[in-house]
Amino acid sequence: MTDVLRIDGLSAGYGPLRVIHDLDLVIRPGERLGIVGLNGHGKTTLLYAIAGLTGWQRGSILLNGVQIGRTRSQGPGRYTHQIVRKGLAIMPQGDEIFTGLTVEEHLDSGAFTREAWRDRKARKERVLDLFEPLRKLMKTPVGRLSGGERRMVSIGRGLMTDAKLYLVDEPSLGLAPKIGQSVMEALLALDLKESAMFIAEQNVALLEGRVDRVIGMHAGKLKGEASATLGVGS
Amino acid sequence: MDITFVIINAIVVASIYGLLAVAVSITWSSLGLINLGYGFVFSFAGYCAYVVAENVSEFPAVVAAAGILGGALAGVMICLLVFIPLHDKPNFTTRGMIGTLAISLIGSQALLMYFGPRAKSLPEIFGFWSVKIFGTVLTSDKIGIVVCSIIMLIVVVMWMRGSRRGLEIRAMMMNPHAASIVGIGIRSTGIYVMAMTGAMAGLAAVLLSQTYYIAPFSGLTPLIKGVSIALCGGLGSVSGAVIAAVILGLTEAITSRYLGGQYVLITQFLVIITILIVRPRGIAGLLDKAREQ
Amino acid sequence: MTDTTPETGPKLAPTTWVNPLTPWGTAGQDDVTSVQAPDPRQPWDENTAYKAKTYKVGRLKHYIVWPAHGAKLWDRWRWWPTRRNLLHIKGLYNRKTLKAEKKILDRRPVYWAICLLLLAIAPFFFPESMENTLLSAGAIFGIFAAINVCWTLIVGTASIFSLASYAVVGVAAFLTTWLSANMGLPWYTLPLIGAFMGLAMGAIIAIPALRLDGFYYALLTLGLNELCRVFFTTSSEFGSASGGLYGADTYISDQWEPYAQSLTGYYGAFLLMIASLFLFRFINGKRLGRILRMAPEKREAFAEACGVDYRRARVTIFVLTSAALGFIGGFYAAQFGGVAFQIFSFDTVLLGLAMITIGGIGKAEGAILGTLVVTVLDKVMIDWGPIRHFSIGLIMLGVVLFLSNGYFGIKKQFNAWRDKKRGEWRSIRSEKGGEALPEEATEQDDKDELFFRRFDKMQRDYLKGLICPEIIEEHRRQPLGQHSEALERVCYYFRRAPMEDKYALHHDHAKDRYKIIAFSGKRGVSPRVVDDREYDNVGDAYHAIFIRRVHDLMES
Repeated sequence: MTDVLRIDGLSAGYGPLRVIHDLDLVIRPGERLGIVGLNGHGKTTLLYAIAGLTGWQRGSILLNGVQIGRTRSQGPGRYTHQIVRKGLAIMPQGDEIFTGLTVEEHLDSGAFTREAWRDRKARKERVLDLFEPLRKLMKTPVGRLSGGERRMVSIGRGLMTDAKLYLVDEPSLGLAPKIGQSVMEALLALDLKESAMFIAEQNVALLEGRVDRVIGMHAGKLKGEASATLGVGS
Repeated sequence: MDITFVIINAIVVASIYGLLAVAVSITWSSLGLINLGYGFVFSFAGYCAYVVAENVSEFPAVVAAAGILGGALAGVMICLLVFIPLHDKPNFTTRGMIGTLAISLIGSQALLMYFGPRAKSLPEIFGFWSVKIFGTVLTSDKIGIVVCSIIMLIVVVMWMRGSRRGLEIRAMMMNPHAASIVGIGIRSTGIYVMAMTGAMAGLAAVLLSQTYYIAPFSGLTPLIKGVSIALCGGLGSVSGAVIAAVILGLTEAITSRYLGGQYVLITQFLVIITILIVRPRGIAGLLDKAREQ
Repeated sequence: MTDTTPETGPKLAPTTWVNPLTPWGTAGQDDVTSVQAPDPRQPWDENTAYKAKTYKVGRLKHYIVWPAHGAKLWDRWRWWPTRRNLLHIKGLYNRKTLKAEKKILDRRPVYWAICLLLLAIAPFFFPESMENTLLSAGAIFGIFAAINVCWTLIVGTASIFSLASYAVVGVAAFLTTWLSANMGLPWYTLPLIGAFMGLAMGAIIAIPALRLDGFYYALLTLGLNELCRVFFTTSSEFGSASGGLYGADTYISDQWEPYAQSLTGYYGAFLLMIASLFLFRFINGKRLGRILRMAPEKREAFAEACGVDYRRARVTIFVLTSAALGFIGGFYAAQFGGVAFQIFSFDTVLLGLAMITIGGIGKAEGAILGTLVVTVLDKVMIDWGPIRHFSIGLIMLGVVLFLSNGYFGIKKQFNAWRDKKRGEWRSIRSEKGGEALPEEATEQDDKDELFFRRFDKMQRDYLKGLICPEIIEEHRRQPLGQHSEALERVCYYFRRAPMEDKYALHHDHAKDRYKIIAFSGKRGVSPRVVDDREYDNVGDAYHAIFIRRVHDLMES
């Protein structure tokens, strides 16, 4: 069984700034991995590097045995869509949404593979089961939704394909604690099967005891693996 | 010359320029590219239709298809030459605009060198018949032009609304960064957009050559009119472009009826300037924040 | 004693070491098989070598230094009636020879003077066969350069993307020609009347510029240009039949011989160009230009918050420059005695845009260089036919695709690219393992510590290479005394270890046995016993410590 993600010696940054230093990481199938760390220690950059959105990077990144990381210093995001199509679902920090599209069109836009597009109805149902509040908002433009609903839309969009790896960046950021909790519940309730999930989060309490592994991140390096029950950083 | 005749003329003109305006509008809003190369796309499509009509067949559908395909081809050419190399470079808007102008210069000169300065004409693709409705005589070409451009517009709008590519294009209009995250490639979508808008310009070229001739520089006036209509309607809005096309068509028809042909442009620009001063982003200028990356 | 011989790295050349104490008979061993110790400077050189590839291009600005002092002299010379220095010159003494030298800090005035001088004397070097073509092309170059310099002011300094500059010139030229032809105005009034017309027209066009942003305005002015073209070509007043309007009074008299006529035309246009350059200097380099440099595109709101009224400045520049364009239009009429409809055509706008983009938008030198390139292609290479415009288009496309701001932007673009690449390389280069990582190093106050760690790592790497069965055997046979070079180096390193956790021997006098202990490194804290094992004689105990240290070294 190949690992879902195998990162070897990854360095990445923006211009003269080096944010990630020689990082190695393996994510196995069916695993839910939490990365915790303070602001500015490279959590988002790590996610961006996997998706090819950083300014430059080098090192190998194998997604299900397919090389998606290469030495590149071209414009960020030049190859992101190709990488994403290899089985990555990104639920980015902040709300990277299309303000004019309705919720339904949003969920459709997440279904970019051919199979996903074909049975998008069933998949939309699945997402709606996870996020009940969206059911009655299907025809509303996303620009009119509240922060929590937007987050649900952007996570729901990521769940529309059969991704091998779900990258979730700060799912609770900027949300009221209760809503953040419920978004996290939904993420944890998802049946991963063979795929894996990677959650970057500042709030350790939300992850504690509910993911398979928690790794701390400090100054662009992963700091020790701790079991989920220990609570890193407390 | 009565008022119905004037209005019919207005609608005919508006439908052709409306096609171009929608093309300009979609290109700007989804790619952020101000494509001033439509003049070249226009003449290229006209010449394609001409070559096919001369050498292959004068069957109307074939000629029209040749024009549409030629337009799409020219659009893809512009995309490959200007949009793809430049889209993530600094000063993209200015450089993109100048690049399309350069292509239009090169392309027109190439057409001039190859076909010579003499104007060419296309066969009548709608035949010679006329219908009388409510006491007005409608000739075949007028009906054909209006019907064809409306069909094209409807097809494009439906495609943008319903299909997956259309969804991708609309998503890219709103947020190009997020679009790449959900697996929408900016460059491949750019090719679709330019092919589609090029096809629209190609159809407009075939339709307009029912009344005018095809020459290397014949695309200029349609381009300027199309661009002004797109501006007036609000860049990025299809419905705005359609409304603006109707308004400007009416202005043109009324002016030529009551003031005389040489004042058409003057009244048109007065109307445009008035509209733009009242609404600086055009009639349907909803896209205030859509393209401010 | 367990003979755990640690594996060594690369095999070292075996050698026989001859003990120098042999003749005195005090040596324990005479000839010892040992290994050749490599040069210890080698790892140092390898580690401290600068591995990044270096290039000769530097960040330092290259100044030409001239002999003789001159600073005093040059400082006293002013451009009358201003208080401005003639040239920005610094006087200095050569550090080695102590000779007086001068350095021109800003060489641009020199280049400008040379280029303008070349243009001024060029007519006397034109080849006989092309004299006429070149002189008329030169006149057109001068006028178009003036127009483009003004246009650069609008597009670059004022950031109003107006495509109506040629329309302003054309309207002024047409109206002044018409006035001159019908009312008999003399030539010297034409530019002034043109300037007033340009002012009026600029004020009218500026109204939408207040409301519309960037490209809406560009497209609107493009339409305006077309409007002017249609209006003038269709109205019978302005000679719709003859392709232009002619008959204005001109300053070039018909009675002169043709060569004098062309020469006058050339110099008239040249003077116009210089006047436009002065205008550029006085707008772009003075208060208005500086205000607008504080409000670059997309940061207007911030500038506004700082109290910069950028809109007013932009419109002022636009209106002033429009007056100048009107002046040029009047001059055009006075030079050629009229104007053709071509001035309004889309091709003219296109070529004009090519001129300002080739050199770089926003710079006077860019506008002039672009005009030169395009005019030479368009007016001098006439026998090329339609390929002329084709090649202009190709140049324009190439410039747009590869240069971010034309020819005169190459330097900046290259520097930015180099800095970006340099930053990337530098951040990629830092190596893995061992030493302090850059971010750790910033938190350490004692930089000596960092250096010591680096040096220690190098030394350990070197010594690890020396450990081999031969020297262990040599040490076992004689722990003390003179050793071969390889062993001696290892021993020195061990002996120099810090007191903390340093191994030592404890001699139990009662039983005459030895034990290995380790110092605590702190005064008053007793050493700890490392091992329960006891040794019978001191040599075995020394060797046991040695083996222990070798293990520690190999594991570090």
